[in-house]
Amino acid sequence: MRILLIEDDNSVADYIIKGLKESGYQVEHAADGKSGLVKATTEEFDALIVDRMLPNVDGLTIIQTLRASNNNTPALILSALGEVDDRVKGLKAGGDDYLTKPFAFAELLARIEVVLRRQETGSAVTRLKVADLEMDLLAHKVTRGGVVFNLQPREYKLLEYLMRHAGQVVTRTMLLENVWDYHFDPQTNVIDVHISRLRQKIDKGFDQPLLNTVRGAGYMLDVPQ
Amino acid sequence: MFLSKIFTSFTFRFLVGYVAWLSVSVFMVLGVIYAFIAYDSFSDVHRSVNQELDELSAAYLSGGVESADTFIREHSGPERLIRFFYFIGDENRQRITGSLEQWPATETYRDGWLGFDLQDALSTIKDPVNTEFIARIKTLPSGEQVLVARHYADILTSTKLVAGALIQSMVVTIILGTLGGAVATALSLRQIERINKTVRHIMSGDFSERIDGKGSRGDLRQLSININQMLDRIEVLMNGVRQVSDNIAHDLRTPLTRLRNRLSELYNETACPDAQGEVAALIEEADGLLGTFSALLRITQVESGNRRSGFADIDLCTLVSDVIELYEPLAQDKDQQLETGMAKVGAFHGDRNLLFQAVANLVDNAIKYTPEGGRVFVGLSVEPAAFKISVADSGVGIPAGDKEKVFQRFFRVESSRGKQPGNGLGLSLVQAVVRLHEGEISLEDNHPGLRVVIRLPRDTTPVV
Repeated sequence: MRILLIEDDNSVADYIIKGLKESGYQVEHAADGKSGLVKATTEEFDALIVDRMLPNVDGLTIIQTLRASNNNTPALILSALGEVDDRVKGLKAGGDDYLTKPFAFAELLARIEVVLRRQETGSAVTRLKVADLEMDLLAHKVTRGGVVFNLQPREYKLLEYLMRHAGQVVTRTMLLENVWDYHFDPQTNVIDVHISRLRQKIDKGFDQPLLNTVRGAGYMLDVPQ
Repeated sequence: MFLSKIFTSFTFRFLVGYVAWLSVSVFMVLGVIYAFIAYDSFSDVHRSVNQELDELSAAYLSGGVESADTFIREHSGPERLIRFFYFIGDENRQRITGSLEQWPATETYRDGWLGFDLQDALSTIKDPVNTEFIARIKTLPSGEQVLVARHYADILTSTKLVAGALIQSMVVTIILGTLGGAVATALSLRQIERINKTVRHIMSGDFSERIDGKGSRGDLRQLSININQMLDRIEVLMNGVRQVSDNIAHDLRTPLTRLRNRLSELYNETACPDAQGEVAALIEEADGLLGTFSALLRITQVESGNRRSGFADIDLCTLVSDVIELYEPLAQDKDQQLETGMAKVGAFHGDRNLLFQAVANLVDNAIKYTPEGGRVFVGLSVEPAAFKISVADSGVGIPAGDKEKVFQRFFRVESSRGKQPGNGLGLSLVQAVVRLHEGEISLEDNHPGLRVVIRLPRDTTPVV
């Protein structure tokens, strides 16, 4: 997997490059908008990470230019301007996700993986399965080892999102954005409470816990190694 | 409403003052005109009476009674425009000849003028005239007295008529002037009201708006142009400030990212559980710092009012229900009763994420400051002019003296300081969001506890 990082702050760039390489990605780096745009148009990448504020050409212009020339490489926008307007502008310009600085690296990694995965899955899925946990998307039925769970609509949505991204870390903000569909900053650990309720239902009484907390990052639905 | 606006407006009072001044001027001018007219008719009367008197005297002197009679007959015919009455008497004013039967009972006025009422004197002429006549006498060298009188009432009537017309036109001037003033005021009020509306809109944060000066002309147009130019200038300055705050955000948050990331790196690399716990605590500290920092920046951004581009028609009912649904488990964990009173309301034009944040902050506070087993109520209802969202709890409430202060940034009620987590920015953000939506927020006593009421105006559709 090749990722192009367009970021002018060398220290942030070094950190992202280091983290991505450790996670098994190949990373190209461009330190300003102009060279970034040239690289993005002349070479093939699996994903782009683009800072919004860049010297010469700004991040949104780069993505708009690429989209205008039918280049649909998934792009994650990084920005210090964490406001909804900017977020909307970023997504309208053709960005696939938007991440506000400061972010934990785990958040970036989680989002990059989701963005890459989005590109792969094309066909409609009707069943989701993680270990012995199964979700029938058509019948809205969730079972584990033959036990049928009675889930509230939001719990169902939460579990569906976790199952769709099984094996990936999902962060609290990702859950708020995608399950609750609001972009806001909760003052309390309100998401944790919902997760622990879901955990009560799907993990209680089973030997293998599937819904795990990833410290300093978020949650992951997976079979622990 | 509009009428009272007209009467209290500066333009109207100015115009009324102007009409009053104009009326005084017109009154003076008309007075002068009247004086001229009156003087003219009086001098005409004087001249004609004197002339008749001279002619009659001359006729009497040259041809005696006979030629005087001829003169009188010629001059008293009904075809004459002005009717004169003549009398010639001896020195004792006994009648020699004339169109009057006897010497009238005259009163003497200045300059040798006489006046009298003539009913009995006019025995031969059955005239309904019963008014004042004026007369002049001349004593001939031979002792006879010649009197010429003229009907004076018509002059008086005509001058009265003129005076009446003048006064009536004055009254009409005042009435029409005031009415015209009201109409002119209404017209200018409409223009000014339009400017006001736009200015109010801009004050609430939509800085892209400008006053449409096309419909107006002259000074109002100039005013619109000036206001627009002032707004352009303010916008440039505000963008400058925003640029600076964006730069601060960029420049400060980036090193904070580095700090946080290095700490989490350290956390992953450390094997020692004690050190891990310490680093985890440091990460939490850093996250708290970052949280405060972004909350502060968010308030600044919301207050700068550039957020209206995120506005859309939203369903408050769904929004409030979503907040309740999100926070219900939190209340249940504290054994609190989370009650709701939801009314179906129409669409509201606003920013859903910010409103969600605002209501979430209130519900979060309510749950946080209400002891276990307490009650929290979230309600949505419709008022004639507003959508009302209220969040009430049975907690400790806020002391009356602190109610104004809790909206200040970083202010925390003394009793909660150190006991409850928080940065003292939650309500500031709520207030900023409410203001952005041109709404009002108030804190009320819930006996016990606190009730926060947000009123969002039902019509916030921007002026197109």
